[in-house]
Amino acid sequence: MTQDHPLVLVIEDEAPLRRYLRASLQSFSYRVEEAATGAEGRDMLLRLNPDVVLLDLGLPDGDGLDLAREIRGWSRVPIIVVSARGKEEDKIQALDVGADDYLTKPFGSGELLARIRVALRHSAEVAGSATEPVVEVGPLRMDFASREVLLDGAPIHLSPNEYALLTVLVRHAGKVLTHRQLLHEVWGGIASAQPTYLRVYMASLRKKLESDPARPRLLITEPGVGYRLKV
Amino acid sequence: MFMVPLDGRPQALVALHAACRMARAQGAPWLAVQLEAPFQVHYSPQEEARRMEQLRLAERLGAEVVQIHPTGFRAAHEVLALARARGVTVIVLPRPRQPRWLARLKGDLVEDLLRGDPGIELRIVPAEPVAPAPAPQAADLDHPDPRRLVTALVAVALATAGGLLIFRRLDLADVAMLYILCITVVATRYGHWAALLASVLSVAALDYFFIPPRFTFVVQDIRHIGTFAVMLGVGWVVANLAERIRAQTRLALERERHTGALYRLGAALAEGGDAQAIQERVETYIRQALRMPALVLLSDRKGLLGPRTAEDITLDPEELAVAQWAMENAAPAGRGTRFLPGARGLFLPLVGTESPVGVLALFHDFGSARNGEPKGLPLPLALAAQISLALERARLAEDRAEARLRADHEQLRSTLLSSVSHDLRTPLGTITGATTSLLDPGPEAAPGDQRMLLLTIHQESCRLERLVNNLLELTKLESGQVQVRKEWVPMEEVVGSAVSRMEEQLEDRSLTLNLREAWVPLDPVLLEQVLLNLLDNALKFSPPGTPIEIESWVTASQAGLTVTDSGPGFAEGEEERVFEKLHRGSRSASVPGAGLGLAICRGIIQAHGGTIKAATRPRGGAQITITLPIEGAPPELPVDGPS
Repeated sequence: MTQDHPLVLVIEDEAPLRRYLRASLQSFSYRVEEAATGAEGRDMLLRLNPDVVLLDLGLPDGDGLDLAREIRGWSRVPIIVVSARGKEEDKIQALDVGADDYLTKPFGSGELLARIRVALRHSAEVAGSATEPVVEVGPLRMDFASREVLLDGAPIHLSPNEYALLTVLVRHAGKVLTHRQLLHEVWGGIASAQPTYLRVYMASLRKKLESDPARPRLLITEPGVGYRLKV
Repeated sequence: MFMVPLDGRPQALVALHAACRMARAQGAPWLAVQLEAPFQVHYSPQEEARRMEQLRLAERLGAEVVQIHPTGFRAAHEVLALARARGVTVIVLPRPRQPRWLARLKGDLVEDLLRGDPGIELRIVPAEPVAPAPAPQAADLDHPDPRRLVTALVAVALATAGGLLIFRRLDLADVAMLYILCITVVATRYGHWAALLASVLSVAALDYFFIPPRFTFVVQDIRHIGTFAVMLGVGWVVANLAERIRAQTRLALERERHTGALYRLGAALAEGGDAQAIQERVETYIRQALRMPALVLLSDRKGLLGPRTAEDITLDPEELAVAQWAMENAAPAGRGTRFLPGARGLFLPLVGTESPVGVLALFHDFGSARNGEPKGLPLPLALAAQISLALERARLAEDRAEARLRADHEQLRSTLLSSVSHDLRTPLGTITGATTSLLDPGPEAAPGDQRMLLLTIHQESCRLERLVNNLLELTKLESGQVQVRKEWVPMEEVVGSAVSRMEEQLEDRSLTLNLREAWVPLDPVLLEQVLLNLLDNALKFSPPGTPIEIESWVTASQAGLTVTDSGPGFAEGEEERVFEKLHRGSRSASVPGAGLGLAICRGIIQAHGGTIKAATRPRGGAQITITLPIEGAPPELPVDGPS
């Protein structure tokens, strides 16, 4: 395994889960390092400078959430948090303090690899700070210079709010965005902005972009957390 | 900190109770100080008994008891020194009974303390219950009513006029008879004060108008004095007789009222219900039937009275402390009694056969008496006895119901345990078996077997996950940990997120979505849970490849959603029971599951204030229908630019 392969740091207290993560990641030629506690993870992070961090929120030596906040204080490394089901609050908090994405236990290797790919791509974009003038996601093509949106080659007319919302989603394609993050990006400091706004514009975006809005293929709802543009 | 000096005199008892009440109202500790008289070596047996009684009572009421033996002639110095040393803020004292000059001469603790500028607050409490205004019925008895006296005057005037009319033709004796008639009538109708006045006036009028020399009060014939004496005597006797009859009538009426009140209260209590229901019914009854505000205070399991208010009455902490005292000591307290006689209410303890259950507070004047029991107390006491029994009965019934509930809970828990352990073991057994054969394949193992075994493990793991999730969800629902956070959400979005999560399993099905555009206040996370369970059921209970339909509709006040499959539907009569925990439909024997899914759905939907129903479509297929209430309107939306 060469140094070119991305390094994944797994901070997870359960040995079986670490074993599974190592096996599935190595089989897709990632390099893997493991930490069993938060303190160990912090040391390794400083020493190894990994490309992605997989962080369990339920660590024995303290709150994974605090660690995520701390890491965000001095590093831009993508963080994917791992937590149990039914802990939507924890996930939202982790995302709001700067985690990039989340995985709900139990998760399959396909999902895991997809999240890591998205995280790596976004961190590369941020590093090059390249804001591409044209982005394509599946059947969607967005030209930020001309403010043109094409679906399967056909132009789509969007209202200013719809356009703003879609822009944020496309810029973070594949990543989950919490209600708060979306509201902040689209409406800025308007205090009265609430999730209902999002739902209204998301519904109208779906009408324009999805062949069946009730079975969305692009604009995915993450119940209780936010939305994700599927790549 | 409160302090009360006990010097063995009867008044000290009143101060003792007052100090206890004040300390309790403020939750402060209090100190009872027993003083030994400086020069008195022997106490009379009575005094000794009283001293012991006060000491014991102080201990029982929760005071810290201290004895001091003053060395000087006056105890005030010692008392103050102790008070300062112990950080006492208030000293409670009875009002001195003896005149000031005598107190100064003989030495009195209160006087000495007052004079000594103690620098500590002294609170003087009345030594005897404050006599409240007498009851209204007693008023016409004990005090002459001016209107009745005027009536007596008028009656005598009429008798005089009558006498003047008949005097020409008849004898003086007849006129005297007329006056006696007048006195009798007045006595029977207007009470003995009026009768006495009528007697005196009659004698005067007879003398003035009829006895020679007429129109003077001079009496010439000594025999007429006898007539006057007879008239006065008759007046007195008749008045007393009439009074006795009136008293008896009043007593009979009182008894009648008493019995009636008890009877009607009994009827009201016989309706049963829990303690709260009885509490409310009793308050309403006393307020309406006896025309007095009343509160029933219930004690909790720890023996503390809960606060209670009526529309016009709120108990202050001191009154609540008195009520608590009344209950703990099983003695009436408050208005008209020895303890806090100035209170607005009379607090009667409600004591069941085993333990105190509460206090009945009556805001009414029942009069007072020297022995510390209000005059009108028998009726309230009888009421209190009845209420106590009813409350105790209700309490016992509640305890029994609780015990039964606990037993049911235990039963359910063990059923759950046996059912769940079976459902957990089956997939675990399969997984263990499959993994061992993967780890140690036989020599004849076919190449395709490995993948088949892995698929089995995957499927069984997913089943385990669903089961564990459902168990957790159900536990959360039942323990009340689930909070419904309603937000305005388009129905389409909720259905969409559930469907996309099940996309893999739904691959070989034709799913028809027929959704009406509707914004509904709901908890998106919980409702997705419901839809996932319903879709999972539809997949499990209908043959592979058959269609599934989801339909929604909306009215002004509710939104509805149905999930329909093409399976055999529910067995007849089972449409209700399928929502019960651990109930498995009679047609589901071949399908794995613990019977938790629909129970969870019902729990969530009920927490939303909605309904969930199961039915079989006439042409076959199980159909689950959910309705959710729509209250209020979705929030206003910001104006967006043109598309």
